[in-house]
Amino acid sequence: MSYLEIKNLEIAFPTPKGKYIAVRDINLSIKKGEIISIIGHSGCGKSTIMNAIGGMLTPTGGSVELANQKIKGPGPDRGIVFQNYSLLPWLTVEENIFQAVDSVMKCSKKEKHEIVIQNLKMVNLFEHKDKLPGQLSGGMKQRVAIARAFAINPGVLLLDEPFGALDALTKGSMQLEVLKLWNLDNREKTIIMITHDIEEALFLSDRIVVLNNGPASTIREIVEVNLPRPRNKIEIVKMPEYIALRDRLLHLLTDKFSIEDMGMVYKS
Amino acid sequence: MSDKDTLTLSAISGQAEVLTASTTIDTAKSDKLKFLINQIVGRLQSTFFAGIGILIFIGFWSLLRFYTKDALPGPLATFTVLKEMLSDPFYDYGPNDKGIGLQLFNSIKTVLLGFLLGSLVAIPIGILMGASTICKQIFYPIVQLLKPVSPLAWFPIGLVVFKDTGMATIFIVFITSLWSTLINTSFGIASIPQDHKNVAKAFGFSKMRYLTKILIPFSLPHIITGLRLSISVAWLVIVAGEMLSGGAGIGFFVWDSWNALSLEKVISAIIIIGIVGLLFDKFFTYIENKVAYR
Repeated sequence: MSYLEIKNLEIAFPTPKGKYIAVRDINLSIKKGEIISIIGHSGCGKSTIMNAIGGMLTPTGGSVELANQKIKGPGPDRGIVFQNYSLLPWLTVEENIFQAVDSVMKCSKKEKHEIVIQNLKMVNLFEHKDKLPGQLSGGMKQRVAIARAFAINPGVLLLDEPFGALDALTKGSMQLEVLKLWNLDNREKTIIMITHDIEEALFLSDRIVVLNNGPASTIREIVEVNLPRPRNKIEIVKMPEYIALRDRLLHLLTDKFSIEDMGMVYKS
Repeated sequence: MSDKDTLTLSAISGQAEVLTASTTIDTAKSDKLKFLINQIVGRLQSTFFAGIGILIFIGFWSLLRFYTKDALPGPLATFTVLKEMLSDPFYDYGPNDKGIGLQLFNSIKTVLLGFLLGSLVAIPIGILMGASTICKQIFYPIVQLLKPVSPLAWFPIGLVVFKDTGMATIFIVFITSLWSTLINTSFGIASIPQDHKNVAKAFGFSKMRYLTKILIPFSLPHIITGLRLSISVAWLVIVAGEMLSGGAGIGFFVWDSWNALSLEKVISAIIIIGIVGLLFDKFFTYIENKVAYR
């Protein structure tokens, strides 16, 4: 049973030199509650696919269907966490989330405020609710953005390189944070995430979509990650399945593995 | 999560904190004092150097007086007249003999009225120009054509339309106040980052919510900057305008004093005009800082 269905998706942009095809022939069906990573080199159209699912872009060919409904624009059934957090700098942390909740949810003001508070507590930012985004660290801003996306209770969560700008330590705890929220929600939310990071993709996802290099990139391979959950970061890296998957992904994404491969052999 | 860690850490170190509490209060006090002293020293220093600047200015002025063989009144004579003017600023001996306070009040009233009307027109048009390409294509050529024109050139048109010099003066201030506000507003609106627009799109913001939570907060600092530039130019123009219109205001006062060959009064008026302009600017800079975000 597929929840999100991408059929023959093609997205092209008009340019002075003619039509530029960013991605084409994308076919993907995603089950409810699945975590999918899209991985590929810079400029391979990862964000383009994400924007098509988010409804920020209209496909030039094919379609994206969510619960058998064709996606025509942005909607509250999909929560987006942007690459650069995209918080409104003049609103407090609480207000940033509240404006989204107030815009999307149909319930009383009191209930809306309760939703905001509950989500702030989930990402451990309740004490910081009156701060402005400018007073927060990168990791905290990202947590606000995630809380905002979760607060509108969407079926699908779209994360566009969510931890790309964070340091390795913060990144690690943020990945756990996302898994925690996913678990708290009975693993019912479908999460689609763009990443550059093979370890991150393996730790979080059920399937990893590897894209070819652009332009006109297509899906190169979909890698199933059959590692048992809950996953322990230290444990899974020792599993032979993990090592095999990581090597497979490295091969898919890398052309050369050492400088000798480039014909430069050093003699001592 | 890191916040939780620090919480437990501070709980553990709570005991140690009690022991060192008295010393921390002392250091906190002396830190506060140091900060205060530093601040006072900084203020004194800037006042001192400002004083040097003024002294240099007065020095040149005295030199100029010396070279013009007393045709230009010196600082001392001017300040005596200025003091006299300020001792009774609100006297009214008929239409051609009013105190400096009344004249100034008249000018400020004219400027504020023209500025207010100008801003009421410029801000909405600026918003339209920033938000819609078509509006920009309609208005921008007109703005480009009329912006470089000296506002005084509008005076005859004001006279013809309103048949009243006072109204005509307000009209030229109105015209003057348009351009900077218009251009800054439209720039502010046009430069709303795609990120912010995406937020509105992704969370389905209504037009009203977009206006009040994104458009206005983002562009307000730009609009205030426009207003600040507009009022400084308006204040520049009012003096010239009142020289033309005559009858009332600080500009008329300058011209009238020149005709009466009282250069002391002219220079005193210049000083007062400068101070009022500075105050206008300070006021808008204050608001600018208030509405700025990081």
